[in-house]
Amino acid sequence: MNRGTDIRRAVVQKLQNVIDPELGVNIVDLGLLYQILVEDDAVRVEFTTTTPGCPMRRYLQQQVEKAIADLDDIHKSEVEMVMKPDWNVEMIKEGVEFFSVPPPPRS
Amino acid sequence: MNKTDLLNTLFGLLLFCAAQGLLLGLYTGLIRLGMSSPQAFNLGPLTHGPLMINGFLATLIALERGAALEKMWTYIAPFSFAVSTLLLMFGAAQSGGYFLLLGSVTLVGIMIYLCVIQSVSHHYIMAGGAISLLIGNLFFIVDSPIFMLIGWWIAFPLLTIFGERLELNRIMRPPKKAVQIFTVLITLWLLSLAGIHFSRNPSWMFGSIILIALAAWLIRYDVARRTIKSVQWTRYSAWSLLLGYGWIIVGGILGLIYGLPTAGLLYDAVLHIFFVGFVFSMIFAHASVIIPSLTGRIVPYSNYFYLPLILLHGFLAVRIVGDLLNMHMIRLIGSYGNVVAILLFLGGIGTQLIRSKNGD
Repeated sequence: MNRGTDIRRAVVQKLQNVIDPELGVNIVDLGLLYQILVEDDAVRVEFTTTTPGCPMRRYLQQQVEKAIADLDDIHKSEVEMVMKPDWNVEMIKEGVEFFSVPPPPRS
Repeated sequence: MNKTDLLNTLFGLLLFCAAQGLLLGLYTGLIRLGMSSPQAFNLGPLTHGPLMINGFLATLIALERGAALEKMWTYIAPFSFAVSTLLLMFGAAQSGGYFLLLGSVTLVGIMIYLCVIQSVSHHYIMAGGAISLLIGNLFFIVDSPIFMLIGWWIAFPLLTIFGERLELNRIMRPPKKAVQIFTVLITLWLLSLAGIHFSRNPSWMFGSIILIALAAWLIRYDVARRTIKSVQWTRYSAWSLLLGYGWIIVGGILGLIYGLPTAGLLYDAVLHIFFVGFVFSMIFAHASVIIPSLTGRIVPYSNYFYLPLILLHGFLAVRIVGDLLNMHMIRLIGSYGNVVAILLFLGGIGTQLIRSKNGD
């Protein structure tokens, strides 16, 4: 398995901990993660929100940036929120349980 | 300072302005009830409504939308609402009015932009809310009596929230026909608001039937009926949502019986059913989502938050009884109780944020 695949897998694992507080589901299972591009020691992540006017945009951007920054082997990262293609409910992973992840009692 | 830092600073300042709008709005509410008014500012009892609508709700909602799009021009809307609040506070009604207009027009622009990006029902409904605010504020700045424009001011938060609920409830996959019915109901309600300017009581009564139908739709299709069996914020939010929908039905029934009075206790009762019973309950319901979007931090849940929720609805019921039975003391107790409930809620949010920051 090449290094790029390993990094992509590590990114996905990290982002599975980023929860959309509105729906209580992580952004990977919600289908909000669109692209992970790896080049040498740099990674670029493109994600979307459930709607372009989503007030959670800033929060999710910060959380994704924080998650990526925690990764070893990555020296340069870029996170961009993209609006196209439009997200829709069909992108949600089958069998996802909504509101199953309440916010932690203490952070 | 780079663009992100600039936007973050602007965001913080505008959030502070929205909080100031809320506190001044609550304070002028007490002035309306007979508390002595401050000498330093031009804060009479009649500023209560405009402060709550524009100084607080419009600033906050425009800020939320602006932050979602992360474009400099979108911040013109909350900035203008905040400036107009300050100007109105110091008695500069005319220039305050211009900023009010600028804020309302920009908010409509933001919603049109969203409709262009994604042409979906919930965006059009929220755009209807922004247009309602613009119409209401146009009447306001030409000195139209507030009882003439109040329907448009009620429509602003209601349609914004209806649109947001429809957007979130896509996960419930409501039938296409149900969404069409919801949209038709909202169109009819907007028409009834326009009708108020020609035939006040019959139009409001017709609109009240529509509002009851909208509340019934929301109770039927909102995820809240399921999530009320959940835990923590999710359960809390469901209670707040369903109680809010309940108050719309109460407001609708009162509207059917009495129409829309032009002033007085009944008028106050109707307004507070919508603004406190529904809008503040929705703010409580969405706090766990609004706060992270505004501050970037999760609010740890506590059972404490049920206290302000119970007080909000309990004291509102007391206040409405006081209004309907013309009992001043009861009305006073209910109103002060509502202010206490809102302050207790805000205090709880602040405390939880500080505690989580300190790692307590």
